[in-house]
This record gives sequence, structure tokens and C-alpha cells, in this order.
Amino acid sequence: MADSVQNTPSDPAERYLVLLNEHERALAAYVHALVPDRLDAEDILQSCKLTMWKQFAQFEPGTHFLAWARKIAFHQILNHRRSARRKPLYSAEPAFLEAVAAEIDRVSDSLADRSEALHDCLRRLPENQRRLVLLRYYEDHDIAAIAKETDRTEAAVYKLLSRVRAALNDCVKARLASSPA
Amino acid sequence: MNFHDHIDASLDGRLSPEEWAALQEAVVRDPELRREYVEKRWLHALLEAESERLPALLEEPSPPLETRVPSPFRPAAWLAAAATVALFGASLVFFFQSRPAPVVATLIEAENCRWAASDLPTVEGAGLSPGTLALAEGMATIRFHSGATVTLEAPSVIEVESAMKCRLVEGSVVADVPESAHGFTIDTAQMEVIDLGTRFGVTATPFGHSNVFVFEGEVKVKSGDAPEAQHVLAGKSLVSKVGAAPERTDQEVRRVEAPDASPGPGWTAVSTATGRGRDAYVRRGDSHGPTGAQALLMVKHTDLAPTNVRRAVLAFDLTGIDRAALRGAKLTLKIEPSGLGFSSLVPDSRFAVYGLVGEQAETWSEDTILWENAGPLVEETLSAATATRLAEFEIRKGSPNGLVETSSDALVEFLHSRPGEVVSLLIVRETGESDQQGLVHAFASKEHPTSPAPTLWLKTSGDQ
Repeated sequence: MADSVQNTPSDPAERYLVLLNEHERALAAYVHALVPDRLDAEDILQSCKLTMWKQFAQFEPGTHFLAWARKIAFHQILNHRRSARRKPLYSAEPAFLEAVAAEIDRVSDSLADRSEALHDCLRRLPENQRRLVLLRYYEDHDIAAIAKETDRTEAAVYKLLSRVRAALNDCVKARLASSPA
Repeated sequence: MNFHDHIDASLDGRLSPEEWAALQEAVVRDPELRREYVEKRWLHALLEAESERLPALLEEPSPPLETRVPSPFRPAAWLAAAATVALFGASLVFFFQSRPAPVVATLIEAENCRWAASDLPTVEGAGLSPGTLALAEGMATIRFHSGATVTLEAPSVIEVESAMKCRLVEGSVVADVPESAHGFTIDTAQMEVIDLGTRFGVTATPFGHSNVFVFEGEVKVKSGDAPEAQHVLAGKSLVSKVGAAPERTDQEVRRVEAPDASPGPGWTAVSTATGRGRDAYVRRGDSHGPTGAQALLMVKHTDLAPTNVRRAVLAFDLTGIDRAALRGAKLTLKIEPSGLGFSSLVPDSRFAVYGLVGEQAETWSEDTILWENAGPLVEETLSAATATRLAEFEIRKGSPNGLVETSSDALVEFLHSRPGEVVSLLIVRETGESDQQGLVHAFASKEHPTSPAPTLWLKTSGDQ
């Protein structure tokens, strides 16, 4: 689109941003779910967004944007795995990635609303568990660092963290089950 | 082997490579385990993907900066930024920096906001590291980790520097500073406002004027020229103009100068719509004919797509102006979104204003001028026989609106020395872009239905 004539509401950039805005959290979760290394996941998301924009002309309006985006992301993940300069702690095998991606696609409807539900559930956590969530996910501390910071043993932190995640998962599922679809 | 525990352990990096390989195999093999893995991993992924929003979601103030351990990476909320940033003209902003600096503030409120190109995330709850926020519409509130909150009113551009400092590039902000953040500082081009426990407002116009108004408490104001800081108490305000020491004022705090406001008594406006004035632009490779009747004057420089290069040419009719008594002159141009290209691909841009001295200065016609007949006006390097470089101005990345004002002694000198009643100026962008889809800058022409035409402001009275 070399110097297109006017900036109309049907501007592709605008359309793209509207769609991306709607689905970016789900896409981010998808990539994080498939890429164990958080740093890699962020890198992949970035290149994924660039690729999506470059290929946006091929996206058919009215079709499932997130499904299209996931396909692109999955390719990016496989590509990244091949080209990774840095060996992550856990690298995922292609067969494993495909199995997990297929499972995500299969249950994607039930995963779709989890973000909102999770927000509600986070607010209900008791104080010490909130702190743990912040240390682990916002500060990105590992278990050892959290143990030091909170004056607990690593085993205790690990157990507590597992329990917090289980509680959040139960809460999310309960909210989804109780909310009218 | 208990794969249920393995799943949790894998989320925290506690599996050995062998255990991880075994878990992968089991997940591929066992649909039940696969289901469980996806469910647990999804929750973990959501927490990772939205990590920057967690402090806000948990309704807890972010921990102070000191306790933040520098971690090898900070997952940027750039994604949210790029997604929500600008449904703003055609500016599409991508941010591909992957290792942002530490978070020093949180965007706690952003209601009904439209953002211009900002390099920080613009969703509510986003953590802000040092960088720029450009608010085009609405109001937004930032809480610095020192405890200070700063509310921006559009249009404003602010640079977050640290938990204790920000810089107001232009626009207006109100700061609320609790005891914990005494010493919180807001810089403008003209002054440095240091909080002494207070609530205060600061404004900065695009022309470099700054105001501070103290609602409660006291602030200390330093300026580059003044030898010592001035203290400003509640109910008082201070104004600082370019090249002058800050002084106290009773006037209302000046926000943004109205585009068509006269700069004051003694100034006369001559626009391209006045008398024999005219304006047009030429585009290399243009096949659309002369542009004299168009509402926008487009300007672009690029080495990447040569046919898209554009220059604007303006003529002002100075009949009736006593040019011998000319003391000051400035050119104002109203920036308009061109709708062409992406501003994200163009850095802050520098423009030059040339005065035409050749034969064409008098004779060019907006009905016929084209790149192909513009001759010396469109040479890559303008010769001294064609034009004199008079002034320059800058348009920051992602400023699709606003008013440009530029002045110089050379401009005054040029207006003095030109013999004819009509003088012509040429506007050239001197900086290029990183991609050929970069922004085309545009200014309102005299045909623009709502915005002011290019205008020369001339001061001919004896004072000043």
C-alpha cells in the first residue's frame, strides 16, 4: 500500500490494531503456554506480531482472528526452537508442542474466558499469597530467591506456590461454571 | 513417577532435563495428563503474560524501587502498548525492544484516553519504565513508585525518568506528592520544579514557555539562568519564558497557545491566504497535477522511495508592511495528519525553512508548479543562487497535530532584504526514515477548511 490515498476507518492498520487489541491477551497466553522459557516467549510474541502485521493482507476478514494468529505463532515457536541461539532450560520437542497445541485448540473455548475470571480470583487471595504471586510472576523471582525473601524453606515455598496455583485454578473453574455462558 | 507433581515442578523450573523429557513423553502419550498439563500451564501462562498488570490487579501499590532485584529481563508490556497505543491517525507503533529497564511507575488511570506514539505501555495498570508517554486525548494518572502521582491532561508529552523525576515536554500536569516523595522533580525546558510537600500544576507550551502553579504547600523552582532557586508558595504561580528568568505572575496558567492567537500587540499576521499569497507542494513523480488547491501541504524526505519526496512552497504578500521597521518574524504551520505512512517509521524529524532568492521567488504559480517544472527548487542540494537556509524546526515522532512555530534572525534579515512585495519560502524535511512506508508530514494550506493557513507573524513596532 504505497502511500494509500486517505486514512479511512477501513485502514488496515486500524483494523489490525482493533483485532489485536481484542485477542492479544489470549495470544500471549498461548505463546507462554507453549514456550516454557519466559524470555523466549516474549521474544516470540514480538516477532509474531510483526509477522502477523506483514501477513495481515492474507487474513480474511470475518474469519477467526485468534485461530489465524495461533497458527502464525505456532510456526514462530517451531522456527524459534530451531534457530535459538541460547539453549533454554527446557526445550520442547516438536511432538510435545504439537500435542499441547492441539489440546489448547480443542479446549480453546473453555480457556477463552479464564483471563477475566483469573482477575477476580486474584483479588480474593489472602495477603501472603498475593505477595507470593507478585514475587513469582511480577518480580520473576525463582523459588530460591523467594525462599530467601520470605524466610521460608524452598520446599515450603514450592508447596505454597503449588497450592496458590491450585486454588486459583479451582476458583477460575468455579467462576466459569457459575457464570451464565 | 508422579507426573502431576512434575507439571507443577516444570512451571518453576524444578525438573531435571531427564524428568522434563519424561514429562513431555507422558503428555504426548496420555490425553488425561495432557488435559491437566494444559490447564495448569494455561493459568501459569496467563500470570506470566499479564505479569506487568499484577500489582494493579492485586490492588496493591507496587513495591518501592529499592526492593526490586534486577532480573535478567522484565517482560515488557510492549504488546499491550502496541495494541492499544494508537488507533490514532495512521500511526501504528511497534516496539521491538526486548529488554526494558526497571519499572519506576504505574499507569493507574487511563480513562477515555487516546495516545500518540508513546514508547511506554498505555493500558491501565501497566508498569512504566523510563520512556515517553504522549497523551492525545483524555486524562491519565501515573503513580510513581516514590508515591507521587502525576495526572496528565491531553495534549501532553511526558518523559518518565525515575521514581523521583519526570520531564514535561509539553502540555500540562498536576502532581500530588506525599511526604514519602518530597523532592520529586518535574523538569520542563525552562525550569526544574522541585516538590517540598505539595500539590502543584506545571505546564509547558510547545514554544518553550513554562508555568508552575502551587495549589498546596511549597515548591522550589530552579532555572538554568537564575543563580538561585525561587520558592513558590500555595496560591502563587511562576511563569518562565524562553531566555528569561522565571517571574511571578497573577495570570491564569497558560496551557497550550491557541493556534490562531496573536502573539501580542505589535504583531501582524500575513498568511498565504492574504493578497497574492499562495501555497503548494511538489512531489517527485507526481502524476496528480499541481497541488495549489489542496487542503494539505505535504512534505517528506526519503532515500528509500525517491518518487515520494515532497517539498512545500509558500508565498506571502507583504504589501503594506513596513519592512524597514521589522523587529521580529516567525512562521507558524499547523500540523495535520496526512493519512500517509506510519509515524512509527519516522524518527523525530527536522525541517528546514529556505527563503527563495532566485527568479522563481516571484514567478512560481500554484496552478502550474510541479516537481518537473520546479527546476532549482527541487535540487537535492539547494544552491545559494536559489535559496537561503533561514531556520529549522523539529517535529517529534508521533505528533500528528499541533502547531509549529519557527523564527530566526536570518528570517528577519531575509524579509528585510528581499526587494519584491511577495516573498517565498520553501519547506524541506531534512531527515529521512527507516522504511519507505514512513510518515508523510502535512501542514494545513490556505485551502484547509478548519485549520489556519501558513502564517508569517511580523513585529514592526519599535518596542522590544
